[in-house]
Amino acid sequence: MSEMLEQMKKDLYSGKVDEVKAATEKALAEGMIPGEILNNGLIAGMDIVGVDFRDGTLFIPEVLLAAKAMHAGLDILRPLLSESDAPSLGKVVIGTVAGDLHDIGKNLVGMMLEGAGFEIIDLGTGVSPEKFVETVRSEGADILGMSALLTTTMPAMKTTIDLLVEAKLFDKVKVMVGGAPVTENFAKQIEADAYAPDAASAVDKARELVS
Amino acid sequence: MEKKRTSENMWIKYLSDIEIEQIHQRSLDLLQTTGIEVDHQQGLEALERFGAKVDHQTKRVKIPPELVAQCLKNIPASFTLAARNAEKDCPLVRGGRPYSRNGGGADFTLDLETGEFRQLMIADMKSYYKLMDALEGINFIAPVFGQDLPVIGRDIMMLRIAFANSSKHIHLRSFSGETLKHMFEMAAIVAGGKEELKKRPIVSLLEAPISPLKFLDVTVDALFLCGEYGIPLDICVMPISGGTGPMTMAGNLLLLNTEFLGGVVISQIANPGAPLQYAPRPMTMDMRTGFSLAGAIENGMMAAAGAQMAHYYNVPVSLHGPWTDSMTHDGQSTFERTYMTMLAGFAGANVLVGAGMIQQSLVISHEQLVIDSEINNTVVKALEGIKIDQSRLASEVIARIGPGGNFLEDPHTIEFLRTERYTPSLLYRDSRENWSASGSKKFVDRAKDIAMTIIREHEPEPMPDNIEKKLNDYVSVSLKSLEK
Repeated sequence: MSEMLEQMKKDLYSGKVDEVKAATEKALAEGMIPGEILNNGLIAGMDIVGVDFRDGTLFIPEVLLAAKAMHAGLDILRPLLSESDAPSLGKVVIGTVAGDLHDIGKNLVGMMLEGAGFEIIDLGTGVSPEKFVETVRSEGADILGMSALLTTTMPAMKTTIDLLVEAKLFDKVKVMVGGAPVTENFAKQIEADAYAPDAASAVDKARELVS
Repeated sequence: MEKKRTSENMWIKYLSDIEIEQIHQRSLDLLQTTGIEVDHQQGLEALERFGAKVDHQTKRVKIPPELVAQCLKNIPASFTLAARNAEKDCPLVRGGRPYSRNGGGADFTLDLETGEFRQLMIADMKSYYKLMDALEGINFIAPVFGQDLPVIGRDIMMLRIAFANSSKHIHLRSFSGETLKHMFEMAAIVAGGKEELKKRPIVSLLEAPISPLKFLDVTVDALFLCGEYGIPLDICVMPISGGTGPMTMAGNLLLLNTEFLGGVVISQIANPGAPLQYAPRPMTMDMRTGFSLAGAIENGMMAAAGAQMAHYYNVPVSLHGPWTDSMTHDGQSTFERTYMTMLAGFAGANVLVGAGMIQQSLVISHEQLVIDSEINNTVVKALEGIKIDQSRLASEVIARIGPGGNFLEDPHTIEFLRTERYTPSLLYRDSRENWSASGSKKFVDRAKDIAMTIIREHEPEPMPDNIEKKLNDYVSVSLKSLEK
C-alpha cells in the first residue's frame, strides 16, 4: 500500500497527471481511505515539490504541472472527503486594476495559488474598483489580490480599498497587492494586508493570511 | 569597382537566408490561420475593408499574405528622428551609425547624492533630461515620470519638462489616445506647425501589442494618430520567452515577427508610407521566479536575429542596448549592458535603447547614464571599422622608420594623432600613484562626478520666447480639458 503512495508522490512530482489520477482510483478500489491518500500521497507529494521549488531545483512550469496532477487526484477524492478534510484554503479574487492591461504576472500568481489549493476567481484585466468589491461580496472571498504594472494605475488599488471600507467588507477580506512598480511601502501606505514581490512569496503570504 | 563599405560587413548573422525566409513564411501562415486580436472598432473595419477576415464577435483578424506584402512595400527604408536643434538629428539609415536613448517609463531612482532607492521626482526628471541633453553618447531622450506629477496629464507634463531641458529628439509614451493628441499638438507648436512637424518629426512614439498576438485599443489609436501627424513609430514586440512567448528562442522570434507584421498592417492601413521601426524586444522569463529578465544573453541573441528580420524587410531597427537586471549601477550592470550593447550594435541596430536604466526599466541612475554614454561611444567607434587605404596602411612610414626605430615624432603620427582613436572620458588609464593622489575613485564615483558637474553647469538650449508662451498656454488648456 505505502509503495503505491510512494509511486504516487513520484508521479506527482514529475507532473504525470494521468498516472496520479489512475493511482488515486486504484487506491480507492483497493480500500485505502480517502484521507490517507490525500495526506500521505497528494499533499505529501506537493510538499516535496514546494521544498524543491524554494531550493531552485524545480522551475515554475514543473510546479504548475505537479499541482495539476495533485488536482487530478483531489477531484476524485473531494466528494468522498468530509467537509473538514477537504483542503480548500479559501477563495481568492484576483485581477489587474482599472486602466492596466498587463496580465502575465497576475496570471502566474493565480496559477500558483490554485496549485497551492486556493479557489481562484480571476476577473481579468482593467478591473474597476466597483467590480472588485462587488465580486468580493458576492463570492464571499477570503482574499482580494490586485496587480498593477503602471504607477499611473496603482492609485486604483487605494480606491478599491476605500470602497471596501465603505462597503464594510474591509474587515472580512484580506487584501494583497503586487506588480513591478508596487513596493512594500506602497502596500503599507494604502493599508493593504500583504505585499509579495514574486509569485512564490505570494503563495506564502496568502497562506499566512488565511491561517 | 570598390563597393562602399558600411558596418553591414560586420553584422552578426545568427540566421541563414533560408531560416529568414522560413520565419517570414511561418509568420504569414500564422497571420492567415490564427490571426491577431484587435480591440478597436475603427481598426477592425479598416482591416476588413482591406481584405482581412474579421470576426467582430471575437475581434479576431485573419490577415491574407497579399495584404502583408502590400503593406511591407509601403514602409520607408529610412527616415530621420529630427531634433529641435537640427545638429542633433538622428538619421536612421541602413548600415549607418546607431543612436542611443534611455529606456522609457521608469518610476524610481537611485538618489544621485546619497545613492538611496526612492521614488523619482520632478527634480530628478529635470536633471536627468539635462544630463542626456549634454552627454555626447546619448542621442535622444525618452520619458521618465516624476511621481509628484498629478496622474492626470502626467504624460503631457513629461513632454513639457523634456522640451524645456533638451533640444534633442524626444521619444514619447502616452497613457491615452486623448493625451497623445495633445502631445502631438505640443510638438507641432515647437516644430513650427503641423506641416513642419511632418517634415521634421521632433517626437516619435513606441507602441507595443500585448503578447501573444493582442492589439489593444490604445495601441491602435496611436497607430492611427501617428499617421495623421506623420510621427515615426516603433512597433515594439516583446514576448517573454516561457511566459507570453514560447520557451524556445526560435519560437519567440517567430511570435515577435508575426506580431510585428500585424503591427505593420494596421499602421500602413491607417496611413500608407508611415515611417516605422521594427523594435524586437524579446525577453526571457526566469522560470524560477517568474520575473522578466532584461539582461539575459538570450535576449541579445534573439534581438540580433530580429534585426536580421528587420534588414530583410528593409526597415530601420531599434534594439535594447544597455539593459540589466541588476539593482544598482554595479559590475553586473556594466557586464550585462556591455555585451548587450555590443551585440545590438553589431547586429546592425539603428537605435540602442536602455541607457541610464537599471532593474530592467524601472529605475533611473544618473551615474549609469554617464557610463552608458561611454559604452555607446565605444560601440559606435567599434562599428566604424578599420579603414584600409594607402595613407593608413603606412607602408612608406614603416619603411622610413625601419627596424628598431619608433614612430613618436613621425609626421604620419602627427597626422592621425587626434582622429584615429576614441578617447574615453570615464576610463582610468593613468598610474596607481596618480589614482591614489586623486582620491582612488572607482568607475561609478567618476561617473557621479561627471554627472554632478554637468547638471550644475549645463544649460540646455532654450526655446524661443513666443514658442515657449504658446506651449505653456496650450499645456494649461489641455490639462484643464482633461480634468473634465
